[in-house]
Amino acid sequence: MSSNRVSRVQLLLVMLLMVGLQFYVRPRLWDARISPDFLLIALMLFAMRSRPGLAALAGFAVGLIADTLTPARFGAGALAHTLVGYLASWGRAVFFADNMLVNAGFVAAGLWLRDFIVLVASGTDHRQMFTELTVYSPLQALTTAGLALMVLILFRSMFSVRLDA
Amino acid sequence: MISTSDRRYSRRDTVLFLLCLGLSFFGLFSPVTWGRGVADTLRESVLFPLVWLQTRAEEGRTSRLRFRQVTLERDSTAYLSQFLPSLRAENERLRQLLRLSRRLKTGYLSAEVLHQPQAMDGRTLLLSVGSRQGVVLFSPVIAPEGLIGMVSSVSGNSSVAMSWAHPEFRVSAFTVSGNAFGVVAPSNEGRNGEGALEFRGVPYRDSVPLGTLVLSSGLGGVFPKGIPVGTVIGTVREEAGWERVYRLRPAANPGSAAHVLVLAGTSQTRDLAAAFPSDSLLDAVRLDSIARLRRIDSVAQAVKAARAARRDSLVRTTPAQSRTPPSAGQGGTPSSPMQGGTTSGPPPAPKDSVP
Repeated sequence: MSSNRVSRVQLLLVMLLMVGLQFYVRPRLWDARISPDFLLIALMLFAMRSRPGLAALAGFAVGLIADTLTPARFGAGALAHTLVGYLASWGRAVFFADNMLVNAGFVAAGLWLRDFIVLVASGTDHRQMFTELTVYSPLQALTTAGLALMVLILFRSMFSVRLDA
Repeated sequence: MISTSDRRYSRRDTVLFLLCLGLSFFGLFSPVTWGRGVADTLRESVLFPLVWLQTRAEEGRTSRLRFRQVTLERDSTAYLSQFLPSLRAENERLRQLLRLSRRLKTGYLSAEVLHQPQAMDGRTLLLSVGSRQGVVLFSPVIAPEGLIGMVSSVSGNSSVAMSWAHPEFRVSAFTVSGNAFGVVAPSNEGRNGEGALEFRGVPYRDSVPLGTLVLSSGLGGVFPKGIPVGTVIGTVREEAGWERVYRLRPAANPGSAAHVLVLAGTSQTRDLAAAFPSDSLLDAVRLDSIARLRRIDSVAQAVKAARAARRDSLVRTTPAQSRTPPSAGQGGTPSSPMQGGTTSGPPPAPKDSVP
């Protein structure tokens, strides 16, 4: 088995760990509106290491899961995550994506953009949207980016792989 | 220059992206029921493990919260239950004080003993009433059990009472039977750390039996007559054959008094003995009330039993009247199964049921 293949398997394991954390640990944490979004971390880290099409597909899958398990408008999450995944993959070419802080910044920006698209697509009223986008989304973006940074530090060797290579 | 494989990748990416985008828009603008149907199907099939995981996590969180709440409730209950006996005691004491105030035919002021942080403070008590409420110097202070002391200094809204434990305290007293007079003063030989009183100056010829109640005599002009001071529990000493000194168990304990009555505007010669019924009288009243309740209960039970018996007899006589009377050759109807027992033949149970 080649080293690249081993790294891919390890990356998959980390993604599964994120899914487990999202559904088993996150409900036990504090206020759900500011607790880190493990699925988005997995999506962003995956998207920044893969081709845009694959990233969009992963985003669509994550969005579908979000739409199925949360009482928001069906399709809004899929649309938001697809766009975020696709843009994150393209953004890697524009920014210096190998820097861990840039990765964390990507995660924070991706979360805020995801929230913005979901709120717009769900038809949320302006007042609530303003509160969400100015208070809760930045806070959740901070916690999520912090956790993404920790994941990157912990699994640095696994995230050095390029899936599109 | 872009290679052919890169262009193919790029086109595939675009197609995938557009496909995902199209599906997302389809989901977004499709009828709500379709979206719900798809979500339900996914929840029941592919995403079932994730839903299960989330359910377990929620259960864990709510269990933890519930456990914390139960722990808090238990702690609060334990905390409150600590105060229950003291509250009961205070309630009982206030009831006694209320009963005493009803029995008193003189003027009085109810006062709260403000605090007793030290053991020696039982000698003097700070009361929550003063001259503005009508307290004057040397006003007697009493509790439901008996004498506590007298007011030794008065200010506007508070006053200080000297209790019987104070070394300077004296009260003229006599036995409840009236055969011995003397002066009650605090004893220097308190047993087990408890304060005690001495009944001094009792003539040698007047022996006082143990258990005799000693009351204030009203002599001296400070304390009215008839307030219980203590009970004789022994002899302390005999002075050269002409005086006996008895040890008294104090009627009231100033150390545990939280509420007292300050007698105001009372005539010192008035007899207050009626306001302090003896323990035996109280017991008699209590027993009497219990007996009365028992009597009422027994009457009610008798009425109930009579009604039941009447109902029973009506039920039994109705079928008995339809039966044929027993023949004379059988020697009469036995009144009970024991009496009617025969050595042969079937048991005459139906006949015995008639009273």
